[in-house]
Amino acid sequence: MRRRRFIKALITSAAIVGAWEAVVRMGLVSPIIIAAPSDIVLAAASDGGVFLRAFATTLGEIAAAVLIAWTLGIATGLVIGSSRRLAAGTVPVLSSIFAVPLIILYPLLMAWLGIGALSKIAFGAFSGFFPIALNTIDGVRAIEPRYFALARAIGATRWQTYARLIFPLALPAMVSGLRIGTGLVVIGVLVTEMLASLGGIGFLISYHRTLFNTGHVYFGMLLALTLAVAVNIGLTRLDRRVGHWRLREQAEEQPR
Amino acid sequence: MPIIEVSGLAKEFGIGRAPLCALADVSFAVDKGCFITLVGPSGCGKSTLLQILAGLIPPTRGEARIDGERVCGPMPAKVGMVFQDPTLLPWKTALANIEFPLDLRGDERAARRKRCAALLELVGLTEFAEHYPHELSGGMRQRVAIARGLAQDPPLILMDEPFAALDEQTRTRMGHDLLEIWAKTGKTVFFITHSLSEAIYLSDAVLVMSARPGRIIEAIAIDFPRPRELDIIGSAAFGAIRNRIWHLIAEAR
Repeated sequence: MRRRRFIKALITSAAIVGAWEAVVRMGLVSPIIIAAPSDIVLAAASDGGVFLRAFATTLGEIAAAVLIAWTLGIATGLVIGSSRRLAAGTVPVLSSIFAVPLIILYPLLMAWLGIGALSKIAFGAFSGFFPIALNTIDGVRAIEPRYFALARAIGATRWQTYARLIFPLALPAMVSGLRIGTGLVVIGVLVTEMLASLGGIGFLISYHRTLFNTGHVYFGMLLALTLAVAVNIGLTRLDRRVGHWRLREQAEEQPR
Repeated sequence: MPIIEVSGLAKEFGIGRAPLCALADVSFAVDKGCFITLVGPSGCGKSTLLQILAGLIPPTRGEARIDGERVCGPMPAKVGMVFQDPTLLPWKTALANIEFPLDLRGDERAARRKRCAALLELVGLTEFAEHYPHELSGGMRQRVAIARGLAQDPPLILMDEPFAALDEQTRTRMGHDLLEIWAKTGKTVFFITHSLSEAIYLSDAVLVMSARPGRIIEAIAIDFPRPRELDIIGSAAFGAIRNRIWHLIAEAR
């Protein structure tokens, strides 16, 4: 059953790719506007190594930016979230910064950190930071006071209260922040690579676009897409694992 | 020797503006091993008093002593708390929830597991050790919370309207079972409730509080022999005590 479905899907995709190739070959559309599948394969064959190295560069930048955005976002969120006053003072500021298209600040970052990987990491981390911090703050603020009373009554230390109660209680909200934030990191890194840089998938896409190497552009886009999909799958898994008990509990408490 | 000694306790909220006086000059003592219930009109400061005893908030004046020691912060080794909401950790099983205070205290895994399995048996939930809170009924969750309150083996258990959110039948059943647990463990229980029947059925003595600012207006000894059956609730003597407390509260308004 599963196998038959797989074969069906394979045949359908082959038909689509075939039709796509035919449309371009017959000259119905300019190859500059739409590259034929064979052009993409050709691009991969001729410049595969270059693309792979660029892929590694982008991956490294994203990994570094994700690490920074997660760490700073969660730490900031936990600290600000623990104080009602601090949250009341900073949340409006943080959310209005989050509402600004941050890309307009990129020229500044580039002037400070140069055209290389550093400014991409900084921008990626910067754009991912806000939703993570804001969601973590929300998550901590939403913890009911009775949990803090419990922590004190059973003699939890300050550190234990953070690590064993606040963190896990805020985790579901935190993870939805991580989803948004990580997505923004990927976008941020790729976009700034396309704007001005010396390497990475984004750079190759915009470089080949100026040369009208549509096959190369498509191949680059394909790699970027793969990356984004992989990141999304990872986050969905995390979300499902963490959100499990929270969803069950909410479902349980609805009728009350 | 009394385990709880409260003298001249007062609590005011809102410094600066017109302060709200929640408790005014509360004094009483509770002997070891007793089951004492505190009743009073809504908002009379019952919970405030309990929070002061638990060391969660400081009094404005006066002092509270537990087991001879002046309360100036939580004393987890001496006081176990059970809240109105079970406040279980949803990502932990029933057994792990009971173990949580011991885990934080740094007890060895095997020892704490053994102790908590025994507590789980005491509250009648052995089969539910590996269930998560969302898989348990309201009454079961509160049983887990009671077992957790007993985990650090404190001599005193403070209970803040623990059965208020339960339905009538579960509530009656829980009261009955709580008395068994109390008899087996020999703890002192200080219990807050709105239900006069619950208070009389459970207690050795009922402390009656006035409306805000809260004062203890009367301590009524309850002499029904133990173990008590639920039938006593329908008796004339029970009704007389109930009426008396009801009038005390109504007149103190």
